[in-house]
Amino acid sequence: MTTHVASVGIARFGKRSEGLVELAAEAAGPALDGVGRKPIDLLVVGTMLAHGDPGPVPLLPRLAGRLGLESSSGLRVEATSATGAMAFHAAVLALESGRFSRALVVAAEKMTDRPTPEISAELTAAIHPSEVASGATMPGLAALVTQRYLERYGLTTDMIDLVSVHARRMSADNPNAQFQSPVSVDDVAASPVVALPLRRLHCAAISDGAAAVVLERGAGPSAVLGIGQGFDSLRLVDRPDLTTFAATRTAARIAYEMAKTTRKEVEVVELHDAFAPLGLVHLEDLGVCGPGEGASWFSNRWVERDGRLPVNPGGGLLGRGHPVGASGLAGIVEVALQLRGEAGARALARPPKMGLAQSMSGLGTQSFVTILGRSET
Amino acid sequence: VSGARGTIDLSRCEACLARFLPTDGPCPRCGSAKVAALSVPGVGKVLAATELHVTPPGVRSPHRLALVEVVEAVRLLAVVEGALPTRGTLVAIVKDGPVYRALAGPPPVA
Repeated sequence: MTTHVASVGIARFGKRSEGLVELAAEAAGPALDGVGRKPIDLLVVGTMLAHGDPGPVPLLPRLAGRLGLESSSGLRVEATSATGAMAFHAAVLALESGRFSRALVVAAEKMTDRPTPEISAELTAAIHPSEVASGATMPGLAALVTQRYLERYGLTTDMIDLVSVHARRMSADNPNAQFQSPVSVDDVAASPVVALPLRRLHCAAISDGAAAVVLERGAGPSAVLGIGQGFDSLRLVDRPDLTTFAATRTAARIAYEMAKTTRKEVEVVELHDAFAPLGLVHLEDLGVCGPGEGASWFSNRWVERDGRLPVNPGGGLLGRGHPVGASGLAGIVEVALQLRGEAGARALARPPKMGLAQSMSGLGTQSFVTILGRSET
Repeated sequence: VSGARGTIDLSRCEACLARFLPTDGPCPRCGSAKVAALSVPGVGKVLAATELHVTPPGVRSPHRLALVEVVEAVRLLAVVEGALPTRGTLVAIVKDGPVYRALAGPPPVA
């Protein structure tokens, strides 16, 4: 691969007064400045809900107009909660084709101006219609996955509480995160039930925000070493095993092969903890540890910034907030910042040379793995 | 309602012999379009169950859902009528329009 992340930008996650186009432009600004406003010949945007006021926003032409990029080519992609990762992958593939030389990728979501039940109903787009008909929600299905996982490995709910505590400890150092304060295990256990055994602090919050990167052909800092995508059935009941996500295993295998590496060389990971127990499952599916061992990485604090393998140093989805279409790109931005040594207060104890970001659509219908490496120049 | 006779309808792939819940597409395991109907007793074992306190519009809280295995390797999502069942509980399964319902107590006689 001969593509690298040249610059990044984030529009702070949280409850924002700005609309979708403004958030997207806010993230794009620093990314464009980072390459000295050099010409962009491809704009890739990602949003799941495309919320405007009152109707849906055609984000691609609106953002192109706002940024003066009407002369470039453009794509809009959508992959529910993995939209941002898919946008990144689409831009990498386009650049690798040789047709384009510099791409701006922007992933944005606006959610907090709608009532929560309305948003929740829209998010069921990530669930099979037959399961929606039963009154299933994403937290409801995640709760069933959690029950299967905990029971299979003889774990208790307090093990998943640690994932939430970790996320909030990390996000407290991230000025662009929705949640700026840590929480305790007792806070998590006392938060209201969403779907047993999942409580509010086990679930990533509805949020507004945007992320952006400029990708360039050629060598540079934060090289794209590997990208992988995996698919699985949308209907959850067709999965033979609910304690692992086959889509993530596929995506990871492809990305490791492309990067000619193994997980042992990966020194920082951003993963898709939309629900706390998923943090454990993803560590296992990425090959960091064996089945059922994810919890020990959190209880032994091996996931801290000075641990064996720092996980979600930017707070992950639980700490950063989850503007669905933006989260997948925000994880990639965090890995790039860590590789570039620009992570500020959340810099790792040992500057990483290689990092991995994982993002997922729904409960593993699609999974994306992106591996970035610091170029030695 | 298939459950009236104490049975539910499944599909069987004539190519790989996999059994699965009826879908609007080909066999989820091998992709073959040669799929036949199959009727099995409307009873299953609870693999996991949850109680939703935050429910979709129009669904009363709490709402209970169970993942139920009806024959080996064939699972369905069922709305639980009554108390939250524990893992391993046998439940009767009735199809009610697009929805499966899990009923506690002895299975209906076929």
